Amino acid sequence: MKLIRRFVAGFLALLREIGDENAYARHLTSHGTTHSAAEWRKFSDERFRAKYQNAKCC
Amino acid sequence: MLFLRRVLWILLACAAAICLGAIAFSRGEHINSLWLVAAAGCTYLVGYRFYGKFIASRVMALDDRRATPAERLDDGHDFVPTNKWIVLGHHFAAIAGPGPLVGPVLAAQFGYLPGTLWIIAGAVLAGAVQDFVILFGSMRRDGKSLGQMAREEIGKVGGFVALITVLMIMIVLLAVVALVVVNALAGSPWGTFTIAATMPVALFMGLYLRYWRPGKVLECSAIGFVLVLASVFGGQWVAGSATLAPVFTLSAMAVAIAIIIYGFFASALPVWLLLAPRDYLSTFVKLGVIALLAIGIFVVRPELQMPALSRFADGTGPVFAGKIFPFCFITIACGAVSGFHALISSGTTPKMISRETDATQIGYGAMLMESFVAIMAMIAACSLDPGVYFAVNSPAGIVGKTADAAVKTISGWGFPVTVQQMADMAHHAGEVTLFGRTGGAPSLALGMAHIFASGGGGDAVLGFWYHFAIMFEALFILTIIDAGTRVGRFMLQDLLSHVWKPLGRTSWMPGVIGASAVIVLSWGYFLIQGVRDPLGGINSLWPLFGIANQLLAAVALSVATTILLKMHGPKFMWITCVPLVWLVLVTFTAAYQKIWSPIPRIGFLAQASQLQATGSAAASIRAQIFNNRLDAVVCGTFMLLVAIILLDSLRLWFGIISGTADSRVAETPFVPTQLNPEEA
Repeated sequence: MKLIRRFVAGFLALLREIGDENAYARHLTSHGTTHSAAEWRKFSDERFRAKYQNAKCC
Repeated sequence: MLFLRRVLWILLACAAAICLGAIAFSRGEHINSLWLVAAAGCTYLVGYRFYGKFIASRVMALDDRRATPAERLDDGHDFVPTNKWIVLGHHFAAIAGPGPLVGPVLAAQFGYLPGTLWIIAGAVLAGAVQDFVILFGSMRRDGKSLGQMAREEIGKVGGFVALITVLMIMIVLLAVVALVVVNALAGSPWGTFTIAATMPVALFMGLYLRYWRPGKVLECSAIGFVLVLASVFGGQWVAGSATLAPVFTLSAMAVAIAIIIYGFFASALPVWLLLAPRDYLSTFVKLGVIALLAIGIFVVRPELQMPALSRFADGTGPVFAGKIFPFCFITIACGAVSGFHALISSGTTPKMISRETDATQIGYGAMLMESFVAIMAMIAACSLDPGVYFAVNSPAGIVGKTADAAVKTISGWGFPVTVQQMADMAHHAGEVTLFGRTGGAPSLALGMAHIFASGGGGDAVLGFWYHFAIMFEALFILTIIDAGTRVGRFMLQDLLSHVWKPLGRTSWMPGVIGASAVIVLSWGYFLIQGVRDPLGGINSLWPLFGIANQLLAAVALSVATTILLKMHGPKFMWITCVPLVWLVLVTFTAAYQKIWSPIPRIGFLAQASQLQATGSAAASIRAQIFNNRLDAVVCGTFMLLVAIILLDSLRLWFGIISGTADSRVAETPFVPTQLNPEEA
């Protein structure tokens, strides 16, 4: 049971990492701010600019 | 305990040998797909445990006491120490594209054996090694890119040539993946509606994430998934509607033009509106479908209908022309070795690794996972009736324009198929026809749909699963087109800025529009060429893409060899040099044959001469002659660019070995880690 819980937790963490939700949480922590629409837009603009400088793999 | 462990590894190695032997020596009877799964799984485990760990410990000397760039340069954005399983998933999601799915499906024309052996051996001995060494090199150099490492390790010439090579490869890549989508959607109202509907869904997701529920990516993606699922059902309704079906029944040329126009606008739209939300969705769907296919294969355990070795090993195959050597290796491409992976291994991933030893699992392990995806694609293609496989994948220019002519030709090859069989299958799949649906995507979707439908529902759900698989493939191919056009534009603007500074500014609209147009028209030209090609386009474009991709791998392996040579002298350079020599042999032979072969279906110049000999002054013939010559020039340019890098590398290697060149390793100095094992 513990193993399944760990697997599910790990899987959700992976989804949040792929979905940039973890990166956003880190962004809020490092900037000492709380979530707001403006803060998300600031974060995502910066994130996407870096992310889409690289081609997607074939 | 140690004894038991040794016994276990010996048993695993024996199992790998037995399974490989079973698939290699089985003739005349169908074998179960689990033999391929077991052969691949056992070989990967043995390869990872012994070869991967050998490279990690003896060659790279990975050291967990050394702080990684993720720790030293932690900025909360790019450089972030991350759990190794999350980095593995992230890296795998980034490297898994359409290549390992489509390549093996096309290579299945040789039978399942040649492709399967290369996917397994190539991944363990070459692909995973390349990804791993480049990841290691980047990790020890503050996350530097392949281009930067090429410039620093080999020289300025190498760095510049690598940039041009990547740009050219991207143009061919975008054209070929767009052609895969075109061939899947042409004449299919169900498929076309489904894919068209994903665009407003992505726009909705973009607005949802930006304004209505900012930051809720998983929630937004779940809604997006439900909507695209609804669009698959909606597509079935559209296909059955007498009014709407004709609207969404487009010719190949119309679909191609729509994709070109889409590519232009999508690359100029704000990223948050279309690209990013669809990228999130397609990544989740991709991981889900790959997992679903693995489960499906284990549950259904389909038998392989394709022979181990088909008659087309002689180079006369209808899917693409050319013998097993070198064309099977060129066609498989990403399933065994992919140059593009080197860009990911020297991109985001090295900036997230918290402990050096995690790099084995991430660099070497993720490539083995991708190789397994290729094995699954091979199983999906080979579990189809061979007659059906060739009817779907053979262009009309080879098998004949009518259904009767096609089945006669294919049955004459020894792969019996009937018009009724194809009509029934098309009916169940919700398509008008499945003849001549080249490009690999339709036959992969058909194979996947068969596996899923065999798990429950039978023919009644075949149409849903077929179009679900088409949606899955098109979703991430469109993301590649969108992102690739954008990146191509950045690279072009970067190059043009040396001519006139304002052209390099990514915020200057005339520069943005002009550069986007040049990139879109470049890949669009090759796409239209593929659509017009009477041999189906895939025959010329996929090998061109395969050659380009494998040549990029040769560039990455040159950088990797230089790194190993500087670290240890010539002692361990065979690790990357042997795959490099193999890739150079394969790619240069393939490129030479594609240019100079006297057989018109293989050689671009021979085909141009054959067309010229007809004496026809028709515009379409003149265009084909020009296109064949252009393809020959592109192929020759790839060879030339990579030859420059190889010669530059050889010059440096001889210098290092003879002591006349600088052999200092350009690694960042050792800094002890402050992370405790729990954190790492």
